[in-house]
Amino acid sequence: MKAAIEGRKPQVQARVRPRIKISWTAIAFVSPAIVCFLLFKYYPLLQAVYMSFFDYKVINPPGKFVWLDNYKYLIHSTEFWNAFRNTFAFFFIYFILTFWVPIVQAVLLNEIKFASKTLRSLYLLPTAVPAVAGYLLWKWLYNPDYGLLNYLLHFIGLGPYGWLNDPSMAKWSIVLPGVFATGMGMLIYYSALQGIPSENIEAAKIDGAGPWRRMRSIVFPSLKFVIGIQFISFICGVFLTFDPMYIMTGGGPASSTKTLSMLVFNSSFKEFRFGVAGSISFVMFVIIAVITYLQIKLSNKD
Amino acid sequence: MKKKQRFRTWSSLAIALVLMLMVSACSGGNSSNVTNVSEATNDSSSTNAAANNGSDNAEATADNTASNGGTVEITVWDQPNPDDTMKSIKEEVYADFEVQHPNIKVKHELMPQGTNDREVFVTAMAGGNGPDAYHSAHFPIIADWVGQGLALDLTPYWDSYADKDKFIPSSMEAGTIDGKVYGVPHDMYVTGLFWNKKMFEAAGLDRDTPPANWDQLVEFGKKLADPAKKQYGITLLGMEWADWWFEYYVWQAGGDLTHVNPDGTVQLAFTEEPSVTALQFYKDLKWKDKIVQNNVLQSYQDNMNDIFQGRAAMSNAASGGFGDYVAQGMDLNDVGFAPYPVGPSGKGPGQIGGAYWIINPKTTKEKQDAAWQYIMYLNSKEVAEKYLQFQQDNGIFPNLLSVRSDVDPSQFAQDISPELVAAVNKAASDTHLEYFLKERLTPYVVKAVQKALTDEKSNPKQLLQEAQDAAQKEVVDAYNASVKK
Repeated sequence: MKAAIEGRKPQVQARVRPRIKISWTAIAFVSPAIVCFLLFKYYPLLQAVYMSFFDYKVINPPGKFVWLDNYKYLIHSTEFWNAFRNTFAFFFIYFILTFWVPIVQAVLLNEIKFASKTLRSLYLLPTAVPAVAGYLLWKWLYNPDYGLLNYLLHFIGLGPYGWLNDPSMAKWSIVLPGVFATGMGMLIYYSALQGIPSENIEAAKIDGAGPWRRMRSIVFPSLKFVIGIQFISFICGVFLTFDPMYIMTGGGPASSTKTLSMLVFNSSFKEFRFGVAGSISFVMFVIIAVITYLQIKLSNKD
Repeated sequence: MKKKQRFRTWSSLAIALVLMLMVSACSGGNSSNVTNVSEATNDSSSTNAAANNGSDNAEATADNTASNGGTVEITVWDQPNPDDTMKSIKEEVYADFEVQHPNIKVKHELMPQGTNDREVFVTAMAGGNGPDAYHSAHFPIIADWVGQGLALDLTPYWDSYADKDKFIPSSMEAGTIDGKVYGVPHDMYVTGLFWNKKMFEAAGLDRDTPPANWDQLVEFGKKLADPAKKQYGITLLGMEWADWWFEYYVWQAGGDLTHVNPDGTVQLAFTEEPSVTALQFYKDLKWKDKIVQNNVLQSYQDNMNDIFQGRAAMSNAASGGFGDYVAQGMDLNDVGFAPYPVGPSGKGPGQIGGAYWIINPKTTKEKQDAAWQYIMYLNSKEVAEKYLQFQQDNGIFPNLLSVRSDVDPSQFAQDISPELVAAVNKAASDTHLEYFLKERLTPYVVKAVQKALTDEKSNPKQLLQEAQDAAQKEVVDAYNASVKK
């Protein structure tokens, strides 16, 4: 018995004094990123929250303390709620039109062996075009008088359409270019697909699993993590998107494409209401944080 | 072993300290900004107090600086672009200033790149990098900038300014707020109707007779519109600045979009008869008369391109822009300019626009004084005439409207048709400033205008009522409350 107790002694000691191993190399590599995040992400965010409690004056900051007035203003603002609805509408349209496209492209590309490298390059090439140039190009394509789209559609007896001029079409028209700009997402999914052991696929084939069954039981489960990550990035991207609306419609027609990010810009640089802009930014942050949290929770549950 | 642990402990502390220092350096920057701001505020207040003796004092300060052997350096964003046709004369004028003011060194810089000049200026000022003097405080924006503390109260300087009575009264309206002068007029323009005489002739109209009223505007427009040639009667501005041109129609109908009460509060007039009549007319131009461009939301530049390329027969034009027409290949003999067609009120006032010189309230007293000296010099009769002479000598079309009453640009425009000069003067005889609180109310008016232009079934009165209700609750109530405090 005594021997048995003595035999346990060293284990007890090991629990009392755990050895902490600090990976200095990892810390050295991570530190710059942490500092940059603190400086350029968290500090501006905290500053925006701080500003939201003031009638903020850029020249004589912070201006008058107004407590929650800027948030109360948002609750009663038709502009805010219109932008709020538009932002969610854009989220759903982007989801319907663009989110699944790179997944399908990657799966198809994974099946094609012939000229696969060339096709990958072709998909990726448009991402090298500056986004602003791309949006300007599409703006011209949509031009009701001289645009290529209406010109081509009239040959099959369609149109002319207002595209960006029609409040009911403007959102869809803004999102449409996104369908053709999936290069980077496609590459990420394609890389994930390359990580699936070919033996698994072959074994499934031998067992008689058809393409859809293989997709459901092997391919999608393997992609789930990447899809989750991409979805979080998609949520942030869509909620913060600004360039296409700003360039193609300026938020019009009749505020039908004005989003929360545009409202932040307008409130600050056109109306000089930096406090209001800060409060909208914080609301956006909360929305994105909540959706992301729910998404992560659901993924973990699965 | 102990040594190793001690090393780890100290290393951890050192890293934590470095991180804390970095973060505090960041927030320290902020607190130092706050300190600077409070110091600057004090500077600014002392400036205002000290500047009570006005421009004489400014000159005295500059002289004192000189006698002390010091030179004041000011920064101004007025460096000419390499392709600026006025580059050589501007550089000559700048050099002359430094010869006459050896104690002042002006650092001429190009305006930093950005989406638009207003945004760039506000951002630079917020970051403490704004210029000491700035010449693009546009008429409609200056009141907001004053409210934000972006412009120094120039009244003490202005009161002792020898040339203060030489500026035309309409040029001073927007820059004078609550009896205080915040801006010195830099340039101005008056708007009116442009018409393409060649297109008028081709449509069987008299090339020298513009439409005199709304009925004629529609009648002429229908004759000029030719969808087969993608040619149309008159341009509308329907993009995010849609309220800019729309307000002209409201004036022509006899109203305005806002009224300023004697106590400084604002009253919205979106639903008053003239505003509704104007929006109905605007809508009819698009849907009933079909004399405007298909793409009613196209950009301002696209509108200009339609004019230059002979697609738009009539448009809005500004007295300072004829040079662009010539530069884009139009024959000046085909360019017509007149006051706007009158609406139901029998009036067609032109809009007065332009920009002011302002001085940075956060800069030092010496720099403010030097900036004032610089502004006075550039706004002098001599310099204005020097520029006009250069333009005449080099075939550059001048702005036919001067902010100074003692400078007559038509004297330097001898090759330009007297008819055009007379039309500008006529348009300038009945003018209107843009509607009050425009910067805040634009989203509401634009929404109504765009809806009318994109939805044939929309009801202008209802659109304006919705716009007014929202604007009253979200902008005007708060504004009026702040005025009453």
